[in-house]
Amino acid sequence: MGQTMDKYFNPVYITDSIPKLLPYIKVTFMVVGLSVLFGTLLGFILAVAKIRKDKIAKKIADIYTTALRCTPSIVLLFLIYYGIPSVTKGFGIDLDDVDKAVFIVIAFSLMFAAAMCEVIRTAYEAVDKGQFEAAISVGLSDIQAYITIILPQAFVVALPNIGNSLLALIKEGALAYTIGLIDIMGKANLIIAANMNAHSLEIYIALSIIYWVVSIIIEQLFLRIEKVLSKGKQTIKVT
Amino acid sequence: MLNYKFLVDTFFVALSGAPTAILITVVSLLIAIPLGFLLALVRINEVKFFNRFAQVYVSFIRGTPMIVQIFIIYNSVPLILATIFTKLNIKINIYDVNPIWYAFIVFSLNTIAILTEVFRSALGTVSKGQLEAAQSVGLTNVQAYTKIIIPQALVVALPNICTAITNLIKGTSLCYAMSLKEITLRAKVAANVGYNYVEAYIDIFLVYLIICIIVEYGFKLYENRLRAYKGVSA
Repeated sequence: MGQTMDKYFNPVYITDSIPKLLPYIKVTFMVVGLSVLFGTLLGFILAVAKIRKDKIAKKIADIYTTALRCTPSIVLLFLIYYGIPSVTKGFGIDLDDVDKAVFIVIAFSLMFAAAMCEVIRTAYEAVDKGQFEAAISVGLSDIQAYITIILPQAFVVALPNIGNSLLALIKEGALAYTIGLIDIMGKANLIIAANMNAHSLEIYIALSIIYWVVSIIIEQLFLRIEKVLSKGKQTIKVT
Repeated sequence: MLNYKFLVDTFFVALSGAPTAILITVVSLLIAIPLGFLLALVRINEVKFFNRFAQVYVSFIRGTPMIVQIFIIYNSVPLILATIFTKLNIKINIYDVNPIWYAFIVFSLNTIAILTEVFRSALGTVSKGQLEAAQSVGLTNVQAYTKIIIPQALVVALPNICTAITNLIKGTSLCYAMSLKEITLRAKVAANVGYNYVEAYIDIFLVYLIICIIVEYGFKLYENRLRAYKGVSA
């Protein structure tokens, strides 16, 4: 068994390719960071649309989240990448020179917004309505009540789901290579192509190790934050 | 603007890939449900060694992109098979193996990890007293699980199972990486001729939307039925 395997599989390539891949994680994080920023904003608007009783806005938000939930990221990515330029061309605007990363950020923002909408909505609903009434009764304005009372509590509830959505986004972000982004995944494919497809297994294993470590770090980070914030909750209860 | 004839024609091309996507989904579920349940029990009962193994396995699958998992399997399984085939003198050319087998492996391995977590958290919601009560009236462990624990855990697990299945169906769109002709690749190939990518991706989008909405609706109906039982017994 050994001989054939050795010829194709050499663990040295795993350790060699990790330092080559790591610098490109910046690109991955940049795309993720921007998508989180825009996605959270849009997700917040959608969540407000769902929470408020306005029927049309709620319907639109419902259709949006259902459609996005049912769309594979790779399909959304290409739909945006080919779709937006072809729509703007109809209005005489040429987007050929626009950086590919822009379309990637748009696609993942739209996807993240759908996830965040549900996260924000369920977190808001988890906070006891009496909290808001109590805040108003002690003289806080509506906005003050939301910012100082509702939001901090909802945030603690939302935290695990925010963590999960973020991890999902990072993993889905790997697909950006399909339209030519040179992030960590794109770089891995470039290395493989430069090797004439030899030792691709080792490079993908190196890639999976990097993603795995990043996921574990983020997971632990969120657990820590959750612990710290929940601790505050208990002291409030005691006093 | 849009080529409407192509849009309509390609919709059916994309739809013709649906059976492949559904087959992969069903096979993966058939493999992953029992194994995922087993691993969930291993985790809950903290079986030595296997518990640690399950932990690492689930963490790896959940911590890495599916496309990377696909590439790892697609690049390693043929190597392993080729060495086994030459050793056993089996005359099968590794390139003749239908890529759907690799898809079965990837998506089963992935779904096992996802369902392990789903089952584990669902079983955790059923109180231990339920198992003890079942045993005290003379039920065996297996009976207690099939008649008492699982039906209760299932109600809790159902929304997560639904999410896992829709994610699985969506995940099959990545089979293009294994040159497996399912929904996405079929429509993409059709689009290559005249560069009608926008139309093709609208069609692909619609096919996944229809399949996932049917699955979600089916689960909602089933959930309501289970809830109705709960209402009667309460």
